[in-house]
Amino acid sequence: MATGIKQQDRQDAIAGWGFMTPALILFAVFVFIPIFFAIYFSFTDWNGISPPAEAKFVGFDNFRVLLFEDGIRRADFFKALKNTAYFSLGVVPTQTALALLLAVIVNQRRLRFKSFFRTAYYFPSITSSIAISMLFLFLYQKNGLVNQVLQTITFGAWEPIAWMADPRGLFHIIFGWFGLTLETAPAWMQANVLSLSVWDWLSGPSVALMGIMILNTWTTIGTMMVIFLAALQDVPREVYEASEMDGANARQIFFKITLPLVRPTLFFVVTLGLIGTFQVFDQVYVMSSGGPAKTTLTVAYLVYRNGFTNSQMGLAAAIALLLFAIIFTLTLVQRRITEGKKE
Amino acid sequence: MKSKLSMLLSALLLTAMILSACATPAAQPAAQPAAGGEQAAAPAGAVNLQLMGWASSDAENVRLQEVVDGWNAANPDIQVSLNLVPDYDTKLQTSLAGGAPPDIFYVDSFRLPDLAAAGALLPIGDKMTNVDDFYPSLREAFTVDGVFYCPPKDFSTLALEYNTDLFDAAGLAYPTADWTWDDLRAAAEALTNKDAGVVGFSINPDFARWIAFLYQAGGEVANADFTAMTLDSPEALQAMEFYVGLVRDGFAAPASDLDSGWPGEAFGKGRAAMTMEGNWIVPYLKDQFPDLKYGITELPAGPAGKATMAFTVCYGVAANGRNTDAATRVVDYLTGPEGMKAWTDLGLAMPTRQSLRDGWLAQYPNLEPMLNGADYARKWQFRPGFGDVLDTINAGLQEAFTGTKTPQAVLSETQSVGEQVLAR
Repeated sequence: MATGIKQQDRQDAIAGWGFMTPALILFAVFVFIPIFFAIYFSFTDWNGISPPAEAKFVGFDNFRVLLFEDGIRRADFFKALKNTAYFSLGVVPTQTALALLLAVIVNQRRLRFKSFFRTAYYFPSITSSIAISMLFLFLYQKNGLVNQVLQTITFGAWEPIAWMADPRGLFHIIFGWFGLTLETAPAWMQANVLSLSVWDWLSGPSVALMGIMILNTWTTIGTMMVIFLAALQDVPREVYEASEMDGANARQIFFKITLPLVRPTLFFVVTLGLIGTFQVFDQVYVMSSGGPAKTTLTVAYLVYRNGFTNSQMGLAAAIALLLFAIIFTLTLVQRRITEGKKE
Repeated sequence: MKSKLSMLLSALLLTAMILSACATPAAQPAAQPAAGGEQAAAPAGAVNLQLMGWASSDAENVRLQEVVDGWNAANPDIQVSLNLVPDYDTKLQTSLAGGAPPDIFYVDSFRLPDLAAAGALLPIGDKMTNVDDFYPSLREAFTVDGVFYCPPKDFSTLALEYNTDLFDAAGLAYPTADWTWDDLRAAAEALTNKDAGVVGFSINPDFARWIAFLYQAGGEVANADFTAMTLDSPEALQAMEFYVGLVRDGFAAPASDLDSGWPGEAFGKGRAAMTMEGNWIVPYLKDQFPDLKYGITELPAGPAGKATMAFTVCYGVAANGRNTDAATRVVDYLTGPEGMKAWTDLGLAMPTRQSLRDGWLAQYPNLEPMLNGADYARKWQFRPGFGDVLDTINAGLQEAFTGTKTPQAVLSETQSVGEQVLAR
């Protein structure tokens, strides 16, 4: 009897390991080993060209240069971090709110052409990111559609701009309306913090970066909407019916019923958004290569640029590790916040 | 416990066997170079070489294949296969780092110092036939610390292209090789027509263009042995104020302000009366804007005389390649009088050998200003890690174009970044 069960266990284990082995091997080859090497290279001065075995071990030099040594490498790293943070701050709330809104709309029982709308909203997410980026380059041209539409709706008051070539920061533009420019800025704004002036830190996303932010929001919204839609469909109908019986209006239903019940999904979507925006690369690669004036330089693009065009693979690996640490911390913090609200 | 472990091991073993069974046939050709699939006709014992480059226009790709086929037919013992890849830099870097580089590969002069510093290149320049036949400026572009690494396969220089219809309409004389900065600025001003959306000159915020003005003004990026940066100089400031001034005054504009991807497109569309590009603009305009009437002349002279930039690519041989002798012979053919003539007769890029000059000019007389540039062209090559300097000055030029940074601030910043790079 006892041996029978044992044998059964053993056979289950065999089957289990057997089925998992291919996935484990793939995981090891394509995830675990590369991560291990990335960590290793971040402590070397490897140029990415000569055989890796020739790379010299430099200890924490790469991290020291990136975090503590005033210079172009630290300036570029924090500039990229600043751009990425603005990118994330702009994109994540927008895409989450809009995705939830769209999900609520297409989840309505009495909506006509429901599947058409669901398909239409999801469509940008499944289209090639590269192709869409190329398309948006044309839309953002000086005589492109975006400027033309803005000109029409403002009755010609809108002055066309070449979106992807405009390095002016949003906040700098707004400061300018109140007469605050680099020349008139108070002394504390000229001070250097982590190799960037306070004025630079407060630039806001550049016009070019906002162009990419709009594109990124538009392409990711569909996926987020589908996730919200799944969560909404899990909310029991009876809860809504009961609240309607109690006389709740649409706004109350949304904020008191829908939102609390999809909160775990909200956390999930915000996390996905954070990770996605902190790793944004392809759209920058296609549309701007980090320009104009490094205002669309994101951390992920900086990793690529250092590794493959500036022959500093060790430094690139160190930046990648720092990026990982940042995303990890942000996710933890964000989880604290979301869970804290629950209680 | 023990049996679980043994099961795990046998499962791993099984998978390993499956994987190795798949891998074996693929591994064999690497061990026996002669057994390559596509060169089935090659005799046993022949050496197979791979030549890797980036894909360019169809015409160029086809011509290069023809030149390589010519070699293969004449040399049964050395068979070359051509591999033109997209995303070239990444591909080359990974294959070099992986220890299995292509035998011969394109090297851009700007990239050379990084590759040379990494020890990736075998110095073969001086083993070429009649080395002195190559233009000195182009040999210089592939020389680092006195070592001539690889022979230039072809080159382009910057010249001034002008739209003859727009010049005629404005009643202006065409630009000549005797032009100065003042002539350029005056013509750009006269040709600018805000209402028609036309500017006199299209230039991008790009170090690779501004640097010609730097040299024309008598400035230098660094001193001769690259121990000190010299960008924070009155000459450099004069060059940048002139370049940026054209844009700030509205006589010139970057391509993005002219609804174009690059200045050549703005020029082709007739939105800019002049631009400064290299030979690559010629096939582009022929293909995209066949009706455009334009002329080419040398870049105007600055306060310190004439200067232009030579952009050139060489055939590099991998230092740790298996058949470096055979590869060197192939490169000698490709850049030799015969191979280079076959390649450059297409007219897209210019021959790097002075002995081919007259024959080439007889075929393409209108490109003479570009070929003349070889006599006074400067190299597009600096030090390892200069990518940081390039990024900084390009960013600075972009800000100077929009007016958020002064030319002096751009130069000071670039000077400081350059000093950091040289100190590494």
